[in-house]
Amino acid sequence: MPYPFWDVMVGYGPLMAAIAVIHVFVSHFAIGGGLYLVVAERSARKAGDEGRLLFVKKLSKFFVLTTVVFGALTGVMIWFIIGLLNPKGTEALIHNFVWAWATEWTFFFVEILAAILYFYGWKRMSAKNHMRIGWIYFWAAWASLVVIVGIITFMLTPGKWLETGNFWDGFLNPTYASSVFFRTGVCILMAGLFALLVAARYEAGDLKTRLVRGNTLWALAGLLIAGACWFWYKASIPDATWLTAKHQLSIAASALERFQWATYLLFALLAVLGLLLARMWNTVFAILLMVVGLYWFGSYEWFRESARKPYVIPGYMYANGMRVGDEAAWRRDGLLSHVDFRTGDDGADLWRYSCRTCHQVDGYNPVKQAFDHTDPGFIAGSILGIHKMKRALDPFPGSEKIRKPMPPFMGSEEEAKILAEWLWERVDQRPMHEAAGLSGPELGAAVYELRCARCHAIDGPDGLRDPLEGESEEDLREFLSDPADGMPALSGDERDQQALLDFILGWYESEKGGE
Amino acid sequence: MTTTCPTLLAALPDYDILPGPLWLIVTLHLLTLTLHFVAMNFMLGGIVIVLFGRIENRWQNPVVRRYLKLFPSLMAATVSIGVAPLLFAQLTYGGPVYAASIVSAWLWLLIPLVAMIGYYFLYGSAFAKEGNPRVKVWVSVALLCLLYVSLVYSSVFSMAERPEVQKAVYEGNPSGFALNPNVGDWIWRWLHMVTGAVTVGAFLVGVLGRNDEQVFKAAKRFMLGGLILASVTGVLYLLTLGDHLKPFMKSSGIWTMTVGIVLSLGMLHFFFKKKFWGAGAMIFVSLGAMVLTRHALRLVVLPEAQNPSTPYEGKVVPQWDVFGIFLACFLVALYLVYWMLKTYFTDHEGET
Repeated sequence: MPYPFWDVMVGYGPLMAAIAVIHVFVSHFAIGGGLYLVVAERSARKAGDEGRLLFVKKLSKFFVLTTVVFGALTGVMIWFIIGLLNPKGTEALIHNFVWAWATEWTFFFVEILAAILYFYGWKRMSAKNHMRIGWIYFWAAWASLVVIVGIITFMLTPGKWLETGNFWDGFLNPTYASSVFFRTGVCILMAGLFALLVAARYEAGDLKTRLVRGNTLWALAGLLIAGACWFWYKASIPDATWLTAKHQLSIAASALERFQWATYLLFALLAVLGLLLARMWNTVFAILLMVVGLYWFGSYEWFRESARKPYVIPGYMYANGMRVGDEAAWRRDGLLSHVDFRTGDDGADLWRYSCRTCHQVDGYNPVKQAFDHTDPGFIAGSILGIHKMKRALDPFPGSEKIRKPMPPFMGSEEEAKILAEWLWERVDQRPMHEAAGLSGPELGAAVYELRCARCHAIDGPDGLRDPLEGESEEDLREFLSDPADGMPALSGDERDQQALLDFILGWYESEKGGE
Repeated sequence: MTTTCPTLLAALPDYDILPGPLWLIVTLHLLTLTLHFVAMNFMLGGIVIVLFGRIENRWQNPVVRRYLKLFPSLMAATVSIGVAPLLFAQLTYGGPVYAASIVSAWLWLLIPLVAMIGYYFLYGSAFAKEGNPRVKVWVSVALLCLLYVSLVYSSVFSMAERPEVQKAVYEGNPSGFALNPNVGDWIWRWLHMVTGAVTVGAFLVGVLGRNDEQVFKAAKRFMLGGLILASVTGVLYLLTLGDHLKPFMKSSGIWTMTVGIVLSLGMLHFFFKKKFWGAGAMIFVSLGAMVLTRHALRLVVLPEAQNPSTPYEGKVVPQWDVFGIFLACFLVALYLVYWMLKTYFTDHEGET
């Protein structure tokens, strides 16, 4: 790992999202807005509608100030932040797609110049040339989308690139085409939302009502295109990725849910406020629509970003920048021997390079709750076997446990112990009986919940009840003290241990009682 | 055609390839960086002269007003051209630059944000009505923003050349709030850049104010003063190189630097005689020479393991078809830029 790790006080996920979501919101407007401006200008000129033409002029000023400044610089900010948060992933993308990015840059440059000249050209140029520049703007902006989508979708579905390393296999990956059209719909929608915001500042009257209805229909058209393409996009995501995202990644699953209901909400708000109540259109309505639109698209982006976890490039590079296939060598050599930038605190360095990209100890996606009331032995065992964890199947009625796919720990056993000690110093070290004030079966159930239930159900196909049936307490203790297949050994506070054993043995006691 | 990666490992491809010959990528990096510097210098230098030049009724002066309207476009050009060298820098000397940016992460991340603030203030000044007293404040804030951006750039890129400094700083402070602690590494370099920008910016001020004696006089003064200060700070920067100075003197950098100095002096001569085409050409070439010098110096300073050519030995896998698409798009873009500018400046039908 030739790069230092930025030990920032906030989670990487929210930090990335804060910049990326705002950027994509504006950048999609920048594309759809280009189309909106020329189409609206053409139609206003054709109809001799001076009021509408004036609106387009006003919108173009807002458009330039929003897209050329804010859009462009938040785009640069994304460039900066990905290099800070995941330099290895960024490096991998640039090495493979530099010419695609360079191509996108040529469109970006044309786009910026065209936007400026379009804005300054209102009073200066002929209508024909003015609109020509508008069309150049739109096509350049859309072409930049067509290019950049190849790289963005590669990060979710690298496709055959994993076998060939060929540029085109990565660029024209399974979700590429559907994404281009889905995002084109989003661009159209965003243009409608921003146009509705500008229209809100107009005095009430026929012109305003016409503008609001026209902009709403424009936005609805975008939403329908995006909605239709969403099903295509969904179908083009490989089953394994989709199922993992939906059932095993809680962040992706909840983002997907938010995206779906926000789609209906956005549709309903547009239809009711923009069409039925068009005469009452005001800034509050417009801002409400913008917020819902941001939430809707932000949820989609959050889903897309988190659906590829635990990878940054699925099947190739983990989110922490370590490459699939390097496990054996790194475990043998020790992770820290591959790290160029050290701070002198090995536990902290191991935490940073292994876990910190996705987790905070106690903050975003925290690990604290998984290790509170445990012990260094349990934590070390969990770290070493973390990639083997399987999804638990409702060990207790009403509590659904969803496993988060994790990359393997790439360090040695000794390093796992160092990391475990470091983590243990930062969690609640009190044993469960002391912290929760429990005893008897309740204590056993709580210890089971903490130490076993993340992977093991009691009943069902993966349940423990059947395999452990007939074991004596001594046998059970012996087995749990040296379990197979990367499972953490029974360790920690003696009273908690005993409660766990009693809890497990209690399953059969109750059966006997029942008989 | 794009070839399948030959360094395919047992199962997965190696990403650490170079998708074109190093010379091509370095050339593109240096060319786009030169263009970025031209736009940036016109803007930064222009702001300094507009703010501090001896111009009576400054904010009512037509040349100053014209320059104010030009600032946002210069900023747009600086930003949009600047994306390309940053992209190619990853391949040219990516590792050290990325590592240094992480050590200064917060300060680095603030660059686009601060630039955005400056950008909006420049737009505010461009749209302001004549006589608006706030313009001076707005342009001053924009200048401070640009100075921040250039200062952090100088610090990060100087630290990129010193891996041992990066490691030492990171060890003490991994939270991303650190500048290069060896101020001598970057302060002269930064001042050299800023004073150089004033020199180049004076050229555009002079061109726009060629018929306004007062403005042209100010431009001449700043060009001369900027050049003197840039030379002094440049020499001071070279003196901070220590052991690297001798190898640098033996490298190609000394020749490009000489060319840059000679052309700068020539530029001064042509500019004072109002021969702007000659002066402009010399400015562009001398800036290119300085960019080449900077590259040569970096090759001398960087340790062998981080020299651009080292990591890619045997790993060049050209993607000629994709490069061809880039080249075609680039040429189309150049034509479109030409056509749009020509149309914009020749079509006045809308004014009638």
